[in-house]
Amino acid sequence: MSTGKRTSAMGVENTPPVPAAELHHAVTLATPSTHDTMINLRRYTLIRNIVLVWLSLVLLAAFLLNIPKINILEHTARNLYFHVPMWFTMMAAVFVSAYHSFQVLRSGDIVRDIRALQAARVGAFFGVLGLVTGIVWSKFTWYVGTDVWWNFDPRQSMVSLQLLIYGAYFVLRGALDDPNKRARIAAVYNLFAATTTPFLLYVIPRQMDSLHPGAEGNPAFSEITHPIMRLVFYPAIVGFIGMFWVLYTQRVRTALIKHRVTHDPEL
Amino acid sequence: MLFMFVLSSLLLIAFAVGQESVSERMQSALLWIVILFSASIGLGRSFVAEEERGTVLLLQLNVPGSQVFAGKLVFNLVLLLAVDMVALVVFALLLNMVIENWALLLFSLVLGSVGLAGATTLLAAIIARASNKGPLLPVLLFPLLIPLLISVVRASRAALSGGLGVSGAMGDLQTIALFSGVVITAAVLLFEYVWHD
Repeated sequence: MSTGKRTSAMGVENTPPVPAAELHHAVTLATPSTHDTMINLRRYTLIRNIVLVWLSLVLLAAFLLNIPKINILEHTARNLYFHVPMWFTMMAAVFVSAYHSFQVLRSGDIVRDIRALQAARVGAFFGVLGLVTGIVWSKFTWYVGTDVWWNFDPRQSMVSLQLLIYGAYFVLRGALDDPNKRARIAAVYNLFAATTTPFLLYVIPRQMDSLHPGAEGNPAFSEITHPIMRLVFYPAIVGFIGMFWVLYTQRVRTALIKHRVTHDPEL
Repeated sequence: MLFMFVLSSLLLIAFAVGQESVSERMQSALLWIVILFSASIGLGRSFVAEEERGTVLLLQLNVPGSQVFAGKLVFNLVLLLAVDMVALVVFALLLNMVIENWALLLFSLVLGSVGLAGATTLLAAIIARASNKGPLLPVLLFPLLIPLLISVVRASRAALSGGLGVSGAMGDLQTIALFSGVVITAAVLLFEYVWHD
């Protein structure tokens, strides 16, 4: 990072400014950023369009295809296509974020920090969506006629805890001023949180009963889903993870440009 | 100062609860809430104090990071065990606590404190680096400790009520021990990145 800046400051005297800037960006920022911002823009657009078409088809199928009648759930069973993929997508985002935090500690590269932050932000967004769809779904099926909005379902508790951890992660980032220090220390917190959360998988189900399929006394997932539902459900998971990828890469590129504008002495 | 905090918060609970008898579950929950808040208030200063007195550089130059971490961890653990004992004795007197299984209760207190001290020590090093330190430690600490809190409250409740719950509490003790081990291992590995610039 710092050596790259120094060479660009020296090299600017006898070379035309624009190519020099481009050349030295390649030195300053590691390869992933140059991929995203310059070379792969066409491929990015292609994949984004595929994801959008794919997800539109999933949405159409989710609302138009006939589904078998299920007790209590009736037509709200279609929420399966939205609620469950949100949870999967958040898990994927948590892994991406933790991976890039690990890379921050290995390489000290600020680009990795931007990636970890944006994955956490988009992951938190999907976590909120999964939580809200879950709360509304259970309120109007199992808890219809009662005043219960929040129940201590294990997965609901785990998502809310993951959101709390990301809230703390964002607060911690706000309290650190120097970008390099912020990258390193936020990565330490993100990884430390990632080592404690797996315990929840083991601890919480012992403490609370679950509404979800496969838990004690509940039918397994395969028993309550008709093949036609699985035909939409699995593509929906792929589609929403693709949506995560689109939002995430978009935010990373924006953040990189912002980082460059504010930190590059030549701009 | 820390012990005054423990005493005053315990008195506060005693006055708030009043003459009513409190269930075992609530007793162990309140006990652990007091310990958790004491830890987040008392142990958060361990690295901030070094920064304020200007001794950080001396330590960074002369002592390996792992030794600094071990020293802070041991000090925090001893402090936390003292807090445990004070809280337990005062709590038992104020709320008429009946302890059925002393060994299980002490085990869960000690093992839980090890995990609590491990997590708090690393996070105290983190907040010493932050500019706005205010209530940062509880915000960072509490979400990480939920698995530990659930297990220790279950184990302490089993110790208070005795009977059948005791055999079931072995699983909780194993979880606490595993959590403490993993937290301390991760904290030792990650501490170097916080400690050195």
